[in-house]
Amino acid sequence: MSKHKISVRANGQLYERDVEPRRTLLQFIREDLGLTGTKCACERGDCGLCTVLVDGVPTKSCLVLAVEVDGKEITTIEGLMEGEELNPVQRAFIEHGAVQCGFCTPAFIVAGGALLKRNPSPTEEEVKEAVGGILCRCTGYRQIIDAILDASKGAKK
Amino acid sequence: MPLPEFDYIRPKSVEELVSILAKHGSEAKLMAGGTDLLVLMRDRLVRPRYVVDIKGIGELQGLSWDEGRGLTIGAAVTLNEIIASEVIRERFGALWSAASELADPTVRNRATLVGNICNASPAADTAPALLVHNAEVEAVSAKGSRKIPIEDFFKGVKRTALGPDEFVKAVHLPNPPDGAKSWYLKWKRTWGEDLALVGVAGLVANSGKWIVRVALSSVAPTPVLVAEIQNAFEGGGTLEEKIEKAAASIPGGICPITDVRCNAEYRTHVAAILTKRVLRKLLGLG
Repeated sequence: MSKHKISVRANGQLYERDVEPRRTLLQFIREDLGLTGTKCACERGDCGLCTVLVDGVPTKSCLVLAVEVDGKEITTIEGLMEGEELNPVQRAFIEHGAVQCGFCTPAFIVAGGALLKRNPSPTEEEVKEAVGGILCRCTGYRQIIDAILDASKGAKK
Repeated sequence: MPLPEFDYIRPKSVEELVSILAKHGSEAKLMAGGTDLLVLMRDRLVRPRYVVDIKGIGELQGLSWDEGRGLTIGAAVTLNEIIASEVIRERFGALWSAASELADPTVRNRATLVGNICNASPAADTAPALLVHNAEVEAVSAKGSRKIPIEDFFKGVKRTALGPDEFVKAVHLPNPPDGAKSWYLKWKRTWGEDLALVGVAGLVANSGKWIVRVALSSVAPTPVLVAEIQNAFEGGGTLEEKIEKAAASIPGGICPITDVRCNAEYRTHVAAILTKRVLRKLLGLG
């Protein structure tokens, strides 16, 4: 099965790689780029722990082929720092203790940040809707939702 | 578990796609969002030699509406694009609400309407909406193009009327009758995301004569339109009596199974209740 050359900008850095068609974006990010902050769990689009941004849009990377993102821009949890500073969602997750085992945290922070970019002052319902595709297997949703809401208030200050 | 091996093809035009399918149709699977296909491939339920990505084809991207022709939704249009459309929200409420209930917002950034119907799951959320709106599926192959009424499109669990060399270019929805309203209600186990235990779409219009259509998902091998609903509204009686009569015709129009999500008796019960609820909502009975 012939490989395809792809050129992808991930967290601001340009990568050129040859990929097999069957390689998922998730495998590409974790194994080829070594960005292991994006987690691999259900691999069937149910849990959303592999959520990354493709051209700014939240996407379950286990259901995308790497070859499809040729020419696109990927943002993962590793690309969210603002210089040396944590971004407001990352800070709010720490302040709210919105982390139990931590395995879902990157996905929620990536999706929460994308929501705030699109809608800087979401309601609680809008936050719940936006992260509805991500499972916290520890069920610590209350703190996660509060953290995203708080980050939105922070963004307004 | 890694995906099985395949070759990836990304045609740039409908002509190119037609010739790929003429040559490799039985060994190829089309991919738009991939949200069903890649799961089936991972489970080894589908083993295509070629995966043909249709997102590079400009002609399949559009969503358009006009007063004469109605609504046309191209094969690569995502569910979130459908949800963002004011025209769909105002005139095709069942489609808008079904798209809003399908999976979750992240999946909907990739998943498409045409993918949902071509996957032909009995639980396809958008199918009942297309049934009550009398949609037509535009299928294209080297032999030409044909319009398949949505009622004839679903042939069984995961089976459609499409030939191996055919693909869906677009779905067309005629403008609904004057004053028509439509909506979709979905019953599921969890608040966030789930497959429908039962899904019910309704369409109601009355400009002198009742037009009432109800279609359901997850209650038969294919999504089904229950034609007897129209009869319930043609005789006399109060609106409440008509709604009761309509709901009473539901068990005869469906054949649900018991599965891991719930049992057949429960599905039959819920199907009748959701039918009443969607009709009451559309008739303004609260």
